[in-house]
Amino acid sequence: MDAWKEFEQNPISHSAAHHIVAIKELLDEYGYARVSDVARLLEITRGSASITLKGLKGRGLVTEDDRRFLGLSKTGEHVARSVIAKKTILKKFFIDALGVEEHQADIDTCKIEHLVSSETAERVAQFLRFLDSGDPSSEHFRKALAEFDEPCSGDTSSCPCCAEACLVKELGDDELGS
Amino acid sequence: MTPESGSSQREEVLRRLNELFAEETEAAVRYLYLAATVKGLDRATVRATLLEGIRETLEHAQTIAEKVIQLGGTPKLRIRVEVDDGLTTGRDAIRTALAFEQAALDGYKELLDLAGDDVVLEEFARAQIATESEHVSSLYLLLDE
Repeated sequence: MDAWKEFEQNPISHSAAHHIVAIKELLDEYGYARVSDVARLLEITRGSASITLKGLKGRGLVTEDDRRFLGLSKTGEHVARSVIAKKTILKKFFIDALGVEEHQADIDTCKIEHLVSSETAERVAQFLRFLDSGDPSSEHFRKALAEFDEPCSGDTSSCPCCAEACLVKELGDDELGS
Repeated sequence: MTPESGSSQREEVLRRLNELFAEETEAAVRYLYLAATVKGLDRATVRATLLEGIRETLEHAQTIAEKVIQLGGTPKLRIRVEVDDGLTTGRDAIRTALAFEQAALDGYKELLDLAGDDVVLEEFARAQIATESEHVSSLYLLLDE
């Protein structure tokens, strides 16, 4: 019941995860990262980037040398790798297993990549390994899933997923109030 | 540089100016928030500095917007201010202000690099750098670190 509180207490905020991953991407691509590069990559002001990075430096995740070039500490590097790995696994799951369109998969993974636990990500990776294993049962599963196009009837009495209300109907559009 | 100047350099200058427009506007909002949340024995002194910061950064934002218009562009404002909840000490408020003031100073330095042989833009960038440098120095003096 208190899981929602964990969301707010997550050690790596959405913004922090983006800054750390941005530094990692810049270092991998150009060999250096400055505040201005991070700001431009994330399409935010330098001031915003600078303030977030100040907090991350204080927490020992980001480093800065005398010439103000940014780096990642061992822990920062670990966080970056973990977030990127979770994003990659989840995006593949959304696209390959669920058939979500790539753009939407990108948006949705971005929202949860830093929040999902390593345990869950590992289970998703395991599921994807099974799907790609070439095992006849996985092939059968894939085929059956792809062919399952039975529309939701809204009848909760015969639905193995829903209980009192049709969960799919509850989803609505993503716009507020719709 | 005029509205008729070569398009690619002009577009780049306008892009940088609009970045600075957002930078200064965000800074004004941050100063406002810091002034509202600063606590401690030095609250009065620091708050006065922060309130002065609102006035100065808004002035800079207006100057930049004017410069964008002079170059035939349209001021564009894309800002997103995320702040930590809670009260702050005077020292931490000044440290935060230094972070975004230094960022603005770096932005003006980049603008100067872009000026090329445009004397008017060069003078504008130099004047802003001088003002921002003084501001950053005065914040450092307050910190006394």
